[in-house]
Amino acid sequence: MKILIAEDETLSRRLLEKTLERSGYEVISVENGRQAFEHLSRPDGPRLALLDWVMPELDGPQVCGEIRKRTEQPYVYMVLLSSKGSKQDTVAGLESGADDYLTKPFNAEELRARLRVGERILHLEDRLVEAREHMRFRATHDPLTALLNRGSIMELLGRELGRSYREQASTVILLGDLDKFKSVNDTFGHVVGDRVLLEIANRLLASVRSYDFVGRYGGEEFLVVLNNCDPATAPARAEQIRMAIMSRPVHTTVGPLSITISLGLLLSSEWGPKSVEEILHETDKALYQAKAAGRNCVRIARPESPGQFPARLAPHRAHRL
Amino acid sequence: MREQSPEAVWNLPELLARVDDDQELARELLAIFKEDFPLHFRLLQEAIGARDLKNVVALSHALKGMFANLAGARAAAAAARLEQVARAGESGSLEEALEILRGEVAKLLPELDAYLEGVQR
Repeated sequence: MKILIAEDETLSRRLLEKTLERSGYEVISVENGRQAFEHLSRPDGPRLALLDWVMPELDGPQVCGEIRKRTEQPYVYMVLLSSKGSKQDTVAGLESGADDYLTKPFNAEELRARLRVGERILHLEDRLVEAREHMRFRATHDPLTALLNRGSIMELLGRELGRSYREQASTVILLGDLDKFKSVNDTFGHVVGDRVLLEIANRLLASVRSYDFVGRYGGEEFLVVLNNCDPATAPARAEQIRMAIMSRPVHTTVGPLSITISLGLLLSSEWGPKSVEEILHETDKALYQAKAAGRNCVRIARPESPGQFPARLAPHRAHRL
Repeated sequence: MREQSPEAVWNLPELLARVDDDQELARELLAIFKEDFPLHFRLLQEAIGARDLKNVVALSHALKGMFANLAGARAAAAAARLEQVARAGESGSLEEALEILRGEVAKLLPELDAYLEGVQR
């Protein structure tokens, strides 16, 4: 494990280096607080630090204070080292953000034991962060396909619509629905149906750029958000996605299944400022038209007059098959 | 009146315990000290002469750390006393505190030299 030693006094620094190298640490040593802060701020910087109290540039407590101002980076466990020894000093050191405090000249065994405490705390923090990330992923992704779930993709769509309106860019929204998917489930069972959904999700992801978004909108419905997409190329992009689904069968335990998708497409630049719900409603109408046109095709949502949201709503999409 | 510490001038077993009985490291630390000390001490004398209390505090603090690490408790205590005097702004006591430190260093250095000669033989 990496450890930072910040100590301006050569003799003490050498003693610390040797003691910690013997204990198996990968030692990085610096001579002042500024260098310490720079090392600790690096993404792959040490997460354990021994900081002398009195140092040039920034002293130990100042380094602790600066490091604690950061909130996004991983936790750094910091031990202050000083020959100061009053209760007042101890309190001031800990209040600055240090985790522990050791008086010089240090006892090597005590130093090692205190650093092991630090390692345990860092390990615990890693586990908590890992658990939080796992929970965050579960809360925002679909458990079967690992695509963004409905809530997340809608939130991202809202953000992208706002951004594209502000920047006068165009966001392309594609709402896709697998054709006659119910018959796959009814005929071959849900295990096969799930296999198909998973494969379709992978093909959708493979068909878009790394900064586009793909979400599972409903059972067999998928929502694709293409950021900063040239409106002129949008229909071709939609066709590529449709072809990626249709071009080869999905291999399942019951054999290869031919799957197709119908897509509704909407160009945000043609619609002006609209709510997510309004945009999705219009895209859904286009999807309905694709179904009505015989499925396995793309239909584009066009405003009755650009920038105007039509008053009348389309037939309910529950009639789609 | 000058206080006399009952502690030994130099506690070699304490130093060896601190370096996990690594004689080579002990020798390296002593060599670092012998190289760094003269400059530190000269700067300290200059700071005292100039009544630069801030620097006296910093330099005596650093010396205190060096002596403490080498297990020179009496010299460390003398450096601590000088630091304390400077912190308290007692300019009139600086020279006296410096003399005590000089006296402790004068006792410590021959012991360190003897050790270094001994391990080199």
